[in-house]
Parts: sequence; structure tokens; C-alpha cells
Amino acid sequence: MKSIRRGQHLITLMLLLFLAAFGYLVYRLTAEAGYYMSNADSTSLGFVYDRNGDVLFDPDADAAVYGDHFIDIGNLIGDDSLQMTNTLVAQNKDLLANYSFMLGEQNDGKAAIYTSLDHAVNRKVYDAFGSKDGCAVAYNYKTGEIYICTSKPSINILNHYTDIDTLASGSMLCSVFYPTVPGSTQKVSTTIAALETMGYDALMSRSFSCSGSYTNLTGDAINCHNASGHGTQNIVQAFANSCNPFFAQLVEDPGWTLDDIISVYRRMGYRVNGEGEQSSLDVNGITAFTASTTLTNKQEFNTQWGCMGQGETLVSPLQLMVWESAVANADGIATMPYLIDHTTTVRGEVQNQAVPAFGKKMFSAESAAHVRDIMLENGRNTSEYAAILPGTDVGVKSGTAQVENGSKENSLLTGFVDDPDFPVAFCIVINDRVRGEVTASQIAAVMMQNLKSAAA
Amino acid sequence: MYKNGISYSTTIILMLLSHAAMLGIVFARGNYENISDLLLLAGAVLGLDAIGIIASLCYRQMTYTLDLMLLCILNISLIFQSCFGGVHLSIKHLATCVAALVACEAGFYLTRNHEWIRRQKKWIYILIALLMLVIIFLTDDQKKWITFGSFSIQPSEFIKPCYVLVCAASIVELHKKVKVLFFYVSVDTLILCGVTLLILGLQWWCHDLGSLPTFAAIFGCALVCRLCYPKAKINKTAIIAMCVAGVLVLIAAWSLAPDYVQRRLHVDIWADRYGDGYQQCEALIGIARGGWLGVGAGQGHLHNVFAYDSDIVFCTICEEWGLLYAGLTVLIILIMLMTVLMNPPKSYYHATMTCGIVAAFLAQMTLNIFGSCNLIPFTGVTLPFISAGGSSMLTCGFLVGMLKAGQSPLFRHERLKRKPQKGSVTA
Repeated sequence: MKSIRRGQHLITLMLLLFLAAFGYLVYRLTAEAGYYMSNADSTSLGFVYDRNGDVLFDPDADAAVYGDHFIDIGNLIGDDSLQMTNTLVAQNKDLLANYSFMLGEQNDGKAAIYTSLDHAVNRKVYDAFGSKDGCAVAYNYKTGEIYICTSKPSINILNHYTDIDTLASGSMLCSVFYPTVPGSTQKVSTTIAALETMGYDALMSRSFSCSGSYTNLTGDAINCHNASGHGTQNIVQAFANSCNPFFAQLVEDPGWTLDDIISVYRRMGYRVNGEGEQSSLDVNGITAFTASTTLTNKQEFNTQWGCMGQGETLVSPLQLMVWESAVANADGIATMPYLIDHTTTVRGEVQNQAVPAFGKKMFSAESAAHVRDIMLENGRNTSEYAAILPGTDVGVKSGTAQVENGSKENSLLTGFVDDPDFPVAFCIVINDRVRGEVTASQIAAVMMQNLKSAAA
Repeated sequence: MYKNGISYSTTIILMLLSHAAMLGIVFARGNYENISDLLLLAGAVLGLDAIGIIASLCYRQMTYTLDLMLLCILNISLIFQSCFGGVHLSIKHLATCVAALVACEAGFYLTRNHEWIRRQKKWIYILIALLMLVIIFLTDDQKKWITFGSFSIQPSEFIKPCYVLVCAASIVELHKKVKVLFFYVSVDTLILCGVTLLILGLQWWCHDLGSLPTFAAIFGCALVCRLCYPKAKINKTAIIAMCVAGVLVLIAAWSLAPDYVQRRLHVDIWADRYGDGYQQCEALIGIARGGWLGVGAGQGHLHNVFAYDSDIVFCTICEEWGLLYAGLTVLIILIMLMTVLMNPPKSYYHATMTCGIVAAFLAQMTLNIFGSCNLIPFTGVTLPFISAGGSSMLTCGFLVGMLKAGQSPLFRHERLKRKPQKGSVTA
């Protein structure tokens, strides 16, 4: 009988295992049913709204009604056609599905996504680019709410991709999330690395001379945008002047090693020399590139050039903006950006309420505070930056990035507003900058002044 | 002495109520053009119920729970299969249900005397060999089916009850041991291992890898029972060595599996939505569409997907009847298997046999349900009692008969009391 009982125990064990697995299956099916339905060929989807209730996505939108209403967020919000996959709708169809496991499909359901975007201001920023292409992004560096995110050229999703062959290159990608050459905005990272390694006093004690060009230790020339030179400068002056010879000499400085620079860069999220996995930022399912560079020898041109944001250095505009949060908050910790403020279920119940999230510490609070001061000093002392938001200090760093083998130059501007009631960090990129046309600071002014008005 | 849980009449009333409720749901929410289609189905279901009840009264038996539960699940299956894509009586499935009931009685009468069936082991081995030869020489290009007109037979299904019977063992058999290298092993176990290797090899060769886990589960149970037989010296080292060997075999099988299996093992179904993942994606969407209560009998979309009535039948039921009803169906099958715990086998042979049967059913249910729901790799095996397919239904019926035999066995001395025989009698 004992052996028969063992057989009974074996059967009991098998039945219990199966029941447990079946229970897990039921849980999983009910939990993921929304996702399954979002992949069905025909699903009733809800709307996407901005922070003021303006429609950003309507599954049954008609071009005759909306016109080009969605043009500024076409490649950000996207649609459910899966022509663009790295968009808010494509990545969150399950949240938009007017469906619940209990009720099934509901054509008049209340499923919706409420974003943190301000569509009216977003459109003004998009229009401010005029004939130029580029992108702009701004967010609250204390909470992470993205207010502005636009990329030009864009796509009018209401044309249902009938014009796909005639669309300008890059129309279906929101360039805020993709790598670009950062130009001199990279000097923010290099300054942080120097502060982290040498310390503030030691860095401030360094002064280097600029005569318009500097021949480095391996015999290569680093030219300055000011052909007549900036003379002898400290870090604050060189940062404001965006002086390449100064930063070349700073990189060569024996007070720190290449490993010191690499170490700080990696903490900031750079993938250096192709080692390790390329990290990414996640914005409600949208994947954004972070940063990468190649640094091999402090005394060589390419490494110095990389530390000034040229050559093989690539950063996404979103990452440039996120670093500003760590500087503006003076704590070295990134505030993680998000687009979805909250969602509603098919019954209209609020869920997925966003809460501020923060990254790990990238650099010390002291370094952050010093860079913050340097950037604010730069903003105060330059009239075009002071005009971004008159009466309020704005910390900025501009950059000019050589692209397409130096045949074109992109203009970049990244910074933050020093106002506890209006804590906004931003990044703007204008492709193929031409002197006399719209500038990044002018777009920043449109962005900040309209956001401030909307917030008032 | 024998437990049935609920009285005979109450069991019948519950069974009839469950079928009537299902037919009522079909009437209210079903997709049918003429009421005559529904009436025909109702007539078939209730008629089969009546025949089953009358038949069960005509022969003496000690337990009736399993009989009536089999009848209950087969008629549930008939309603499901008759409603997929629109209500119409599935004559073919009705025929297989009747065949399953007959097979159940055959299984019961053939295996209720454990001493007799144990003595037939060499014939069962021969039968397995014959079935393997049939698979090798008489099946189609896919080495799975023998086709006669519109009917197909899958011989590998019939190996399962035979294999369960050769896996079952008596204590006498396990005591007969020979020394192989450093181990004392029973001859029966050695032969079983050889036959198992041959069967698994054949399944591998004819690409019927879905059946492999079922045979492996039956073999695993047999092995555990053989290690734990009375007075057996359980060698912990041997058990660990066998576990390690099992894991190594699994790893080897995983890495040596053919390309089409590798694709199934590693496919991201949502990334390959319209390729290798199509069936499972549609199945999961069907489950989601059905929710708890389903979209209505015959109102689903899954009947347009390949193998909707066999490999992904659980999902098709979920879509049309809801996860609640599909779960209840699974529960009924589990309760059928649990009746073994209510009436424990009276002999060691039957105990090992019932372990193998439960393992076989659970392995197939696991592969079908969890595979179609993308919890484990999708293998394409049938869901016992529910999936369409005559070979599968016959085998299931036969296995239930064996399960019943384990619960209400016939002992030789009882037979002798009733009908004394001449000649010597062995104990």
C-alpha cells in the first residue's frame, strides 16, 4: 500500500503543478489581453490628448476636418498603421485599446492617453523653424514632463502614407530621439569631466592661450572659430567663447588621464570606443539614443576633437536636454523624461498616473553646481541668450556641428531656465544652418516665451 | 468500498443540466441560420446522453463517476465542435465520440484484471513493434497518417496506451534483477528502456516531436514508480545521476532539434506576426476577444485559422465560449483524473498504470493549452477529449477505460469464486 500511496502522491503533485501553471496562464491572459487586442487587425482605439485636451491622435481622423493639425507631432505621436514603430501610439496601442477582458471591445469606450505636451506651443515652435529642418524638445527638469517635442521634416498622418515616395528624408523619424553630432554642446560634458577629475579650484587655476589656432602635441592643428584668437582664458571665458584651442589644451593637460575622461563620460551614459552595450532612454516605450564617442589618445586630434563634440561623437538631442536637468537641479542626477501624464481605461478610470523618476547619479552635486553657474554666466553675458526669456536667467551652451564631411553645419543650443516656478530644460537643433536665417536662440525664445505664457 | 462522490441520479441530473445549459447558450447567442440545425445538435447530444445512461445501467460496475464524466465531456466536446464557425451537427465528431465510449469499455475490460494484462506484456510489445512498422512503411510522406478516403488514422496515437501498459509493472517483475556493469537492474526495466529509445527515435525520425514529451512523461512516471517500489533501496546517487542524464538529454534535444523546431523554440510571435507566429497571435487575439464569457457560439474568427479545431482548440473555445467556460472544461478533465485519488488502485500494477495515464493526459493538455497560448513552444498536439480527430479520441477513450479499470479492478480470486476453473491456479 505504501508504494500505491507514493503513486497517488505523484499524481497529486502532477495535478497541482498543472493547476498552478493553469492559474498563472489565466492571470497572464487577463493581464496581457489588452496587448493582444492592440495587435488585432481591427481594434477600436481611443484618442491621444495634450495637456490642455487638444487632440493629438484620433483613430477616425478626417483630413477635411483636421487638415495639417497633426503635422508638428506626426512622427512623434504617429498612428496605428505600424508604418512608424518608434512612436507613442505604436508603442502604447494596448493603452489605447477600447477593450477590457470583462467587457470585451467597446466602440464607445473611453480609453485615452493624456500627454504632457502643449500642442499649441509645440506647433508655434514647429512653425518657427520656417524653411529650416531640425528639432526641438523641452521638459520640466524637476518632474520630467515633456512640454515640447517636434521634429522637422514631419509627416501628415492623415495623408495615409500616399505621399510616402515624395516625403523628405527623415520625415518619419522624430530626430529628437536619434543621434546627431553635438558640436560644442559637448563642452558641457568635457567641463563636467574636468571638474569631476581635477576639482573646481584646480580647473579654475588653468589658463590657456588661443591665437586662433593651436598645434597639439602630435602636430595637428585645432582651429578656433575666432581666427584672431581669444587670448589667454580660464574655463569660464573659454566656455563662453566656445574656444576649441583652450579645450584641446585642457584635454592634453597632464592633470588628468584619458581614463578619467572615459570614466566620467561612461557615467553620463556614453558608449566609449564601442565597448559595452549602447544604452538608451525609454520615453513611454519610445526608444531614444543616448551618446557615444571614440577616445583613444589625449594627445591626438581625433580624441580632442571628440571631446569638443565633433568627429565620431554622437548624442541625441533628448540626452543633451536630460543632462541639463542634472546641471539645473545641481545634483548630478538626471530627471527622466516622459510623455504620458496618465491614461484612462475603457470605462474612463484614470490609471498609469505619471510620477517623477530619476536616473542614477552621473556626477557630483558640486560639479553640477559649478557647471550650472558657468552656463548661467554664459546666458547672462550674451544678448541673444538673454533675450530668450527676458527677465529670467537662462543657462545655455551653443554648438556648431560639422556634418556630411564638413559640407554642412548644424546649429545646436541646449540649456535651462533658472526659475523654480518655470523649471524648463531644452535642446534645439537646426539642420544646415545658414547665417542670416532663423537661429536656435530665436526658436528657444518662441518656445520659452509661449510656454511661460501658457503656464501663467 | 468504492467512492463515487455524488449519487448516480444526481450525477446524471448535473450532466444533463450542463448540456442543457450549453444548448441554451447556443440558442441565445449562437450563430445559426435555421433552428433545425440547433435542434439536430440538441437531439444528438441528449440522445447520446440517454444511450450512455441506459447502457451504463445494463452492466454491473462498481464506479460510475468516470463513465458519466466521460459522457459529459464528450458531449461538451460535441457541442463545441458543432458550433465552430456556425452551428451544424458535426457527424464526424459524433462518430468519434461514440467510438471513444466504446473504446473506453474495451480499455476497461481488457485491463481490469491486472494479472491477465501483465501476462500479455510480450503481445503488447509485439503490438508496439507492429504499429512502429506501420508508421515506417504505411504512412504518408509526413510519416504520421494513413489515409482512407476522407478518413485519416494516426498510428502513433495507438502506441500511447500500449506504452502505458508496458510502463506499468508488477512487484514480481521488478524483483527479477540482473547485473549490468555495476548496477542491478530488472529485466523488465531494461527492455522498457530499449523500447522507449526506439519509440522516441521513431518519433524524432518522423518529425512527430509533439508526441515526444507525452512519451517522456509516461516514461518518467514509470521510472519514478520503479525507483520507489516496495523494499527498493533508493540510491540517491542513482537518482541524481538520472536527473543529470535527463537534463543532458533535454539540452541535447534542444540544441539538435531540426530547423523548423528551432524556429518554434525561439520565435517571437509578435515580431513575426504574419509568419511563424501567425497561428499563436491569432489564437491569443481570439482569447482576448472572447474575454470571460466569449463572443457567442459560432461567432468567432478563429475558425478561419489552421488547426482551429485541434491544435489551438482551447483558444477557439475561449473566443466563442469565454475563458470561464474553457477553464471549466479543463476542470472537468482534471476532475476525471482526480477520481483516481478518490478510489486508489488496489494493485501495484494498476497504480503504476494510472500514474502513466495521468502523466499522458497532463502532458498533452500542457502542450496543447500552454503551447497555443505561447507559454511554452507550440508543438501542435491535440487536447484530450476536445480536439477533433478519431485516433486521438479513440486513444483517450481507451485510456479512460484503463483509468476506470484501475479504480474498480477485477481480482482473479473474485472471478474464481464466481466461476471455478479446472487446472492449477497461480497466486
